[in-house]
Amino acid sequence: MSQLTDPRKEFGRAVTAIAADNDRIVVLSADSGKSSGFGDFAKAYPERYFEFGIMEQGVTGIASGLATTGLIPVFAAIAPFVTSRSYEMVRNDLGYMGQNAKIVGRNGGFTYADLGATHHSLEDYAIMRMIPGLVVFAPSDPGEIRSCVAAMLDHVGPTYMRIGAQGLPDLFPEEPVEIGKGRHLRDGSDVTIITTGYESVQTVAAVEQLAAADISVDLIGMPTPSHLDAELICASAARTGAVVTVEEHYETGGLAGAVAELLCREQPTRLLPIGVPHAYQPAGPYDGLLANAGIDAESIFRRVSAF
Amino acid sequence: MSDRVAELELHAARARRNVVRMIETGHSGHLGGAMSAIDLITALYFDIMNVDPARPDWPERDRFLLSAGHKAMGQYGVLAERGYFDPALLQTYGAMMTALGGHPDMHKLPGVEGNTGALGHGLSISVGAALGLRLAGTTARVFTVMGDGELPEGSNWEAAAAAAHHKVDNLIAIVDNNGLQISGPVAQVMNMAPIAGKFEAFGWAAREINGNDMTEILAALDTAPFTPGKPSVIVAHTTKAKGISFAEDTLAYHYWKPAEGELEQAITELDAKIAECEQKVTR
Repeated sequence: MSQLTDPRKEFGRAVTAIAADNDRIVVLSADSGKSSGFGDFAKAYPERYFEFGIMEQGVTGIASGLATTGLIPVFAAIAPFVTSRSYEMVRNDLGYMGQNAKIVGRNGGFTYADLGATHHSLEDYAIMRMIPGLVVFAPSDPGEIRSCVAAMLDHVGPTYMRIGAQGLPDLFPEEPVEIGKGRHLRDGSDVTIITTGYESVQTVAAVEQLAAADISVDLIGMPTPSHLDAELICASAARTGAVVTVEEHYETGGLAGAVAELLCREQPTRLLPIGVPHAYQPAGPYDGLLANAGIDAESIFRRVSAF
Repeated sequence: MSDRVAELELHAARARRNVVRMIETGHSGHLGGAMSAIDLITALYFDIMNVDPARPDWPERDRFLLSAGHKAMGQYGVLAERGYFDPALLQTYGAMMTALGGHPDMHKLPGVEGNTGALGHGLSISVGAALGLRLAGTTARVFTVMGDGELPEGSNWEAAAAAAHHKVDNLIAIVDNNGLQISGPVAQVMNMAPIAGKFEAFGWAAREINGNDMTEILAALDTAPFTPGKPSVIVAHTTKAKGISFAEDTLAYHYWKPAEGELEQAITELDAKIAECEQKVTR
């Protein structure tokens, strides 16, 4: 396995690098900027770095206002606080107003493991993809973080990106991310697995185990779970006749929900949603929470094998 | 009375008539707040703000955000009078696919800067717009009209703190303090007094005026920002449903569905007011 990269630092570096050539990019912090990887940005561009203290609703509205003047605000903070807490501001001030503002939830999913359910975000893909016109990005590895940042800043309109906190290995060759385009990562014939976000670390390990057990996996990476690659997913489903979704998110409403909606409509196929049971999850070590929820590599291997 | 005040009073009278024109077509609407705020909105669009109806997207324009979005008919009435759109459009109020919804939509109507309606959003958006205009090096200002009934929304106070901390003195908030909200007197529903004192405690400069008196409105707005380096707030004491005698300061006219004869009486009163204002202007 390659060296591990802190996703927050990689994210901050990627935004800061692009901001060097784009002075419309401004960074907003709710006491969250430096822990979201923006330490260097704050030093390099102090006039474009705004600290507001802990007020996620206010900052989301402020992001909208800044965007009305042509700036591109990037607001990163702990995932549940920039999604569920400030949801109406994202819905109205960014979504309904169609503003070119970028919300980023860090320490998403379970990654604030020991801090408990207030700090977990297991519903963010679901609620954010319900906002018309908003694009959800869920990068899998450091290269995809860089590519998603580029796609996010290139896209004119509201976006949400979820990144984690655990060190990430390089999983896939780096290539550009295109909204609504999946990545065909492995050819297979027995089952289609669609993965998104840093849960792909578990998925990739499980796929290796499945291969060793002679289960041939057609693996699709879907870095924009709000905007699926219908063509790629349906073609794969038609070939394998069995689809599994894997995500560090409730097993309903997120990637699984989006894929289920697509398959019901276009390519009816049996579906195994591998995600977190729909209940508040306990506090504990990250690996323990993954296993407890049945979304660690071993559980994915076992559940796909039995599907 | 100065010519300036007389002319603005005439525009405000015509804007009030526009509100009733919309209710004639749509058969109901949020009358009370539209009418209490209309003198303030008129002063902004016709005198104070640096705007050009022919260029509603001009980057260096002053911005107006109606935080209390349900007062939309008040803004529509003024925008039509100011020439942002053909007044014939007022006749679509309440119609399918109208550009004049019960709350403003920036994508449908020139002059609208934000999609407000959910309360407690406008001040944050305004702080962001003011910061953005400042960063761009312009002298443009942002004006936002809030309702007194929306002040308990916590997001307002997040924005109030942010504006003061960042010394956003190109932001002027106006609280339309008509004292009534849908469940009763604001002071009984959730008493936010002293409003000016609360903003001052957050680091704003505050003034209190009669918000239906054009002379007092201009005196306040002419001197904003009241203190360099501080955002300004005007607590404008107004009368709900101002301009329609039977509806003034009456809770039932927060949202008006005219009873028989009421429209006719309102029109008679407003037409008389317009005639009176026209005489003062031509005199």
